[in-house]
Amino acid sequence: MLRLTFRNLGANKARFAMTTFAVVLGVGFVVASFVLSDGLRSSFGDLSDEITAGTDLQVRPVSEFGEPVPLDETLVDEIAAIDGIRLAVGFVEGDESAMQPVKSDGTTINSVGPPQLTFSWVDDEGLGAFALIEGSAPDETAEFSMDVDAATSNGFVVGSTYDLITPIGVVEDATLTGTTRFGSANDTLGAVLMHVSLDEAQRLFGVPGTVDEIAIRLDTDTDAAAVVAEISQVIPTYGVEIVDQATLNAEQKADFNQGVDIVGNVLLGFAIVSLFVSIFIIYNTFSIILGQRVREMGLLRALGADTRQIRRTVLGEALAVGLIASLIGLLAGVGIAQGLIALFDALGASLPDSPIIVSLRTIVLALTLGIGVTLVSALAPARAAASVAPMAALRDGATLGHQSSRRRLVVGSTLLSIGIAVGGFGLISPPSSTLNVVLVLGFAAAAVFLGVTLVSPVIAEPVSRGLGWPVAKGMGTAGRLARENASRNPRRTATTGAALMIGLSLVSTVLIVGESVKSRLGELLESSVQADYLIIDDSDAGVTPKLAADLADTGQFAAVTGFRYDEVRLAGFVTDMIAADLSSMGLLLSLDLQSGTLPAADVTDVIVLHTDKAEDMGVGVGDTVTVEFASGDAAFLKVAATYDDDTILDSPIVPVQVFDDAGAAAVDQWVAASLADGVSAAAAQPLIDQIQQRYPQVSIDSAAEFQERFEASIDSALTVVNALLALAIVIALIGIANTLALSVHERTRELGLLRAVGMTRRQVRRMVRWEAALVALFGALLGVAVGLLFGWGVVSALPADFAGSLNVPFLRITLLVAVAAAAGLVAAWLPARRAGRLNVLDAISHT
Amino acid sequence: MPSTTTTGIETDVAARAIGATKFYGSGDTEVRALDGVTAEFERGHFSAIMGPSGSGKSTLMHCLAGLDTLTDGRVFIGDTDLSTLSERNLTLLRRDKIGFVFQAFNLVPTLTALENITLPMDLAGRDPDQEWLDRVIDAVGLADRTSHRPSELSGGQQQRVAVARALASNPEIIFADEPTGNLDSTTGAEILDFMRDAVDNLGQTIVMVTHDPVAASHADRAVFLVDGKIVDEMMEPTAEMVLDEMKLLSRR
Repeated sequence: MLRLTFRNLGANKARFAMTTFAVVLGVGFVVASFVLSDGLRSSFGDLSDEITAGTDLQVRPVSEFGEPVPLDETLVDEIAAIDGIRLAVGFVEGDESAMQPVKSDGTTINSVGPPQLTFSWVDDEGLGAFALIEGSAPDETAEFSMDVDAATSNGFVVGSTYDLITPIGVVEDATLTGTTRFGSANDTLGAVLMHVSLDEAQRLFGVPGTVDEIAIRLDTDTDAAAVVAEISQVIPTYGVEIVDQATLNAEQKADFNQGVDIVGNVLLGFAIVSLFVSIFIIYNTFSIILGQRVREMGLLRALGADTRQIRRTVLGEALAVGLIASLIGLLAGVGIAQGLIALFDALGASLPDSPIIVSLRTIVLALTLGIGVTLVSALAPARAAASVAPMAALRDGATLGHQSSRRRLVVGSTLLSIGIAVGGFGLISPPSSTLNVVLVLGFAAAAVFLGVTLVSPVIAEPVSRGLGWPVAKGMGTAGRLARENASRNPRRTATTGAALMIGLSLVSTVLIVGESVKSRLGELLESSVQADYLIIDDSDAGVTPKLAADLADTGQFAAVTGFRYDEVRLAGFVTDMIAADLSSMGLLLSLDLQSGTLPAADVTDVIVLHTDKAEDMGVGVGDTVTVEFASGDAAFLKVAATYDDDTILDSPIVPVQVFDDAGAAAVDQWVAASLADGVSAAAAQPLIDQIQQRYPQVSIDSAAEFQERFEASIDSALTVVNALLALAIVIALIGIANTLALSVHERTRELGLLRAVGMTRRQVRRMVRWEAALVALFGALLGVAVGLLFGWGVVSALPADFAGSLNVPFLRITLLVAVAAAAGLVAAWLPARRAGRLNVLDAISHT
Repeated sequence: MPSTTTTGIETDVAARAIGATKFYGSGDTEVRALDGVTAEFERGHFSAIMGPSGSGKSTLMHCLAGLDTLTDGRVFIGDTDLSTLSERNLTLLRRDKIGFVFQAFNLVPTLTALENITLPMDLAGRDPDQEWLDRVIDAVGLADRTSHRPSELSGGQQQRVAVARALASNPEIIFADEPTGNLDSTTGAEILDFMRDAVDNLGQTIVMVTHDPVAASHADRAVFLVDGKIVDEMMEPTAEMVLDEMKLLSRR
């Protein structure tokens, strides 16, 4: 029987090849995600070892919540004086993209790529992890250095001067004093790494007299424990900690790995979707191939093969196909991983040279998934083949039995209901961990897909008839036959379409959710924002408070305020807190005050609470609440008002002075401004342009511009997700091509007859292509229907501020369906050509 | 070799039908393919079941071979009542006790001639009796064709492979369904000679369904079926006798 298995594989090579391809792609991406992340983990581990190797101890601020308060720089000298310490260096790091150098052509380095980071220069390679390559280290005001790769690729030349965009404004004509290397190979992942002197860093980033951390090198033969004890005597008892090299290294690795895991998991997710899609294609291939071998199955049964033997033969074929596909997928995965590295390179984020690590886990997983998916898909066809009666050997036109429509319908609707129930549950009360959310929703989606696939044959015939009506009308006999063919085998049409359904439903879900979020944002801006301008930083660095002050100084604005965010402990609970100019709030945002009034600008010991929060805390206007800050300071604030509109601001709000006093966040996250009465937007424009020139790193937007910017950022996120989902759609199209090729083979005799009675090759080709288009259209519509269900579920589950009512981007979805149908036409190109080329006489005598 | 049944009666009958009745459909569309057929087929004989198309001769064979089930009545292979067997035991019986030759050859296209011949033993997980196998292959004259695929063989050669397959496991009885139906008369005669030879020299038992008087003339005995009933039988038939009988029957 084993022999028969192998002979069948050999005889059906071409037919299995496409099936294999679907599995290869899925397994390939699984492997790629592991190979890539294993390789990166390994090289990042080495990098982490290297950059932490020279630091024996580190003193740094800590906090239970909120942003830790930087260390007083006088600590550096006190620590350096301790016996056994060879070197102690204070260190300041700017926020991502806080400092951006301007290239000689007047542009900045692309800010959507890898980050631009600025550090204070540490003149010791061991402690600072950087070495000078050319020139000298930055020492004075308006001097900086840059890592050698960034300097080379962006055309920065040592000794020349460049403008620097910094939080305190543009620093003109800063000198590039030298180039540096990070670690031993400057593995920056494409980041731009710059240095300035410690004094300059403190000035530019607004942290005079403080350092972010102190790196320490010990003398050789020093008792580290004794030194740690000595340091403990010097540092404050609250908010400062001492960590050793091992801890630093572990933290650094964890930090790197977090990024690696995200990339790896995203890839893995899409790989699994692709594998899921392959199930349908493999199922179809096996069903059709076995359908053509019914006589043979019957013969084997007549000759004494029992049902188990038949089932084993078929599953043996599946096992072999799965094994071969998994092995090829394993190789392909290594290739895909290399391709992805090249892709990252091309996008400017050069990954470190990583070893190709194909771990045993990767191999086992690839084989298990590949073989498992193939076997599972072949299970039902194997059962059907095993139930062929011996009599089938003696009859012409015997067909493969299927489980009854009734049973299919019952199982299908049960799966569908379970999927919807589990999905609903998962969305309404999501499990705590992200992994569990993904698992629950993934299971629900899989159940819905399988359920719809089982149920859809019921509608496949009438729907494809309906869809085929215009084709039948417009395309003559070929069109009529295409329509007949698409509806003659509802199960095949349904399963083939189902593979496409999956990709399209996910894409349309993404589009629907994106559209709903976008339209909600429009409503929110309309209803809750009165500000004429919204200002945000293009990077995550935040907006320097100087900008709000500069705007206010022009005298053209009725209200200007920055919004700062930090974590505090309020009445015993850690919570976000916002600091802003409360007195001007009325002209900028609608808060919908429920009680009390907004305080005047000079009142600084007040807090404004959301009504729910006030209710939770059991306080009202006039009561005093206690706020603890990360610095350890506490403030006693009187409740001035309660508000209800939490669309923009959803946390307790205090005057800016409260943050300043407690050493909390000193940078605005965003700024809102409203023009004074009588100042038109046009009149204010020159002023806005002037401010924009002074702070090139921020975007000063009107509400409409802000909305556009936000929508554009959602769109680009959607594009990335949909590009990855395209893989699933490509696999589905391969499935359509495969099914059509098999159908053509199956109908060889019929096609020969059609040709014999006068159908032209063109007509034959057209007939096959339009059948594919109809199948694709059916799958696409099914996908959009499921996408609507998913989209509705997600939008309903999202917080109302995020996505209000269901909004369907009809134009985009219509386009998507049209593209899918067209892709079906194209996918059938080869099978159609083959059908057209059949030799009439051969075809008629074909058995 | 006679075998002992549960009833303790020794018999030389290889296959037997008692009141075999088979209906297809129901009500107005009911078709009576077999209408109470009782017949015996002796061991070591070459028997032919004759009849015009629609007479039920193929149905009778299918039921005797355990490929199809009766509506009423019983069939025996040796002394085993097929109606008492489970699907699995029926499969085992077909595998171990019965050989088949089909009109359409029905070889597995992906296997070589030799592999096709030994397929029933492979299915049973048994090693073929090499000496017997050589004799069989020699008898059908395929010694130099064993590694060919069916598509590389002529129709006659394919049917010889099919006959060899039926003989290879040395079954208790071989059923042949119009074995010459797809062959020209010369090749057909060759096949019939092989079958005759298998009965005479290899001690096989063959039951053949045919409507060809020439084919029937190779048999020891011919049974005539019309409308699902046995209407006549003839020992040592010749082609002329059978032809006359058929003409007679078709006039009824």
